[in-house]
Amino acid sequence: MVEILLLLIKVIFIIVIYLFIFGVIRLIYLDIKSMNISKTNTMGFHPYFKLINQRDMLGFKVEENYTLDRSVTIGRQDKNDIVIKDPFISEIHAHVSVEGDMVYIKDLKSKNGVFVNGSRVDGDQRVLLQDGDIIKIGQVKFLFVAAGK
Amino acid sequence: MLGETTFRRPLLLIAVFNIIGYSFLFLSGEAYNWHIAALGTFVTLLICTVCLFIIKRNAGDEYLFLIVSMLLSIGLLVISRLNEGLGIKQFIWVLVGLTLFFSVYFVYIRVSKWERFTYLYIFLPFAFYLITLVLGKNINGAVNWISIGGFTFQPSELSKILFIFFLASYFKQPDMLFLKDSRYSEKTKVVVNRVLLMLVTYLNIGFLVIQRELGTAVLMFLVFLIVLYVYGRDMRTFFLNSALIIPGLLASYALFYHIRVRVEVWIDPWSDITDKGYQITQSLFAIASGGFFGTGIGMGRPDMVPAVTTDFIFAAICEELGVFGGVAVVLLFMLLIYRGIKIILGVKNRFNKILGFGIAVMFGLQTFIIIGGVIKLIPLTGITLPFVSYGGSSLTTSFIALGIMQAISNTDMDEAGGEIYG
Repeated sequence: MVEILLLLIKVIFIIVIYLFIFGVIRLIYLDIKSMNISKTNTMGFHPYFKLINQRDMLGFKVEENYTLDRSVTIGRQDKNDIVIKDPFISEIHAHVSVEGDMVYIKDLKSKNGVFVNGSRVDGDQRVLLQDGDIIKIGQVKFLFVAAGK
Repeated sequence: MLGETTFRRPLLLIAVFNIIGYSFLFLSGEAYNWHIAALGTFVTLLICTVCLFIIKRNAGDEYLFLIVSMLLSIGLLVISRLNEGLGIKQFIWVLVGLTLFFSVYFVYIRVSKWERFTYLYIFLPFAFYLITLVLGKNINGAVNWISIGGFTFQPSELSKILFIFFLASYFKQPDMLFLKDSRYSEKTKVVVNRVLLMLVTYLNIGFLVIQRELGTAVLMFLVFLIVLYVYGRDMRTFFLNSALIIPGLLASYALFYHIRVRVEVWIDPWSDITDKGYQITQSLFAIASGGFFGTGIGMGRPDMVPAVTTDFIFAAICEELGVFGGVAVVLLFMLLIYRGIKIILGVKNRFNKILGFGIAVMFGLQTFIIIGGVIKLIPLTGITLPFVSYGGSSLTTSFIALGIMQAISNTDMDEAGGEIYG
């Protein structure tokens, strides 16, 4: 009787270790899976900004793509939707509004301005973006890719 | 994104593991052993608090410490079973290690541009070696301990990490570290850099061999080779260095008596079972007597193996927790290394990337070298199993390395910004 009990405890003990390992593997799996969804699933359905600069040439962190599934603000401050810590970008720099298939960009009184295809966006003007437009904000250059492209 | 609830289950399992283990130890002795009960309670509480702290504070990667805490639990349990006094000492070392872990974590994040201190990484290890050679104490034939105020420390453990720092600052811009502003042509500069890299590496290894720290020397060499293979610019240097293995091994076999002994014992431990082969054969007996599920904590006789709490702890784990327990330990280390590699894939700072890679590789190789030695897969070299073996220097060094890894995994450190929030 004691022997069987002992064996049982031993086996449970080992099973606990393996349950732990299994749990950790499951968590890591979920972690990786959620990462993949956010990267690939949204592409193609929404318009997005694609980075033109070589990422390692910039001294700050910029993602390769920014999906525009809703209206976003761009700036240096943390409460913006797209945060880029470029010293040439103002705290709240620009606003990108997504209205159906139309995407507009507006300069929010930034110091260094927003450039679409090389021309500066005027104070309170909204500029409609076309597929392939090049947007320059601070040192960062983005290519605008419209939905479905 | 994943709620804290998902981490609760593995954490709960660690608690269950500790509770079962320590109550088993508590009840199996002749008299109730209250020290063990107290130790068990403290260990369980400590580990759970630290894990929850890391998850709540969002202090970098959550999995690293989760995996390490399971390894720590297994190690502490087996050490306390073997020798209660050592178990309590080890617990104190864990407390010291955790303090170091968090201090290193915060310091590493605060200080930017660690590649500034390259010359420190080169010369500090040599200072350590010289101090050890002068003040060293002879323990088990190896002069690698210094004693300060009654407490001994093994400086070579720290040199290991400093060496990885050096590798990271060298390969940040491969072959550009030395003679940056000199007038020599590009080609000479590259050659001089490579020669200096090899010089620093082999001086490190040479000092370790003089101190008879074979395990650490082999470890350092392999870490060097792998980092060179992954981050080096050309394959010729890699092949040149790998080709040095064979003459190096032959020379050390011819020159050093203790290496000859290790190899002879590895080939045939049975012919001299009472003397030279005693340790390894006892270890093999211990592993064999465990079977699938082991004899149970406190039921086997792993104390027959010499140095069972330090180098040979894997034999004790195999005896008392069985082959499944031993495989679990190997799996946990594999997960740890996998997680390390996963972290560095997302890191953009090249210095941090190489440093993290070096640390992950170091953990992996250290595990392989000592477990391989214990099960007689490769010749035995005395190094410790990270986080599991008894020993202050080894445990604190492992915690320092883990602290650096944890800091690297913190994405805020990676020059924050550039993300869509919410």
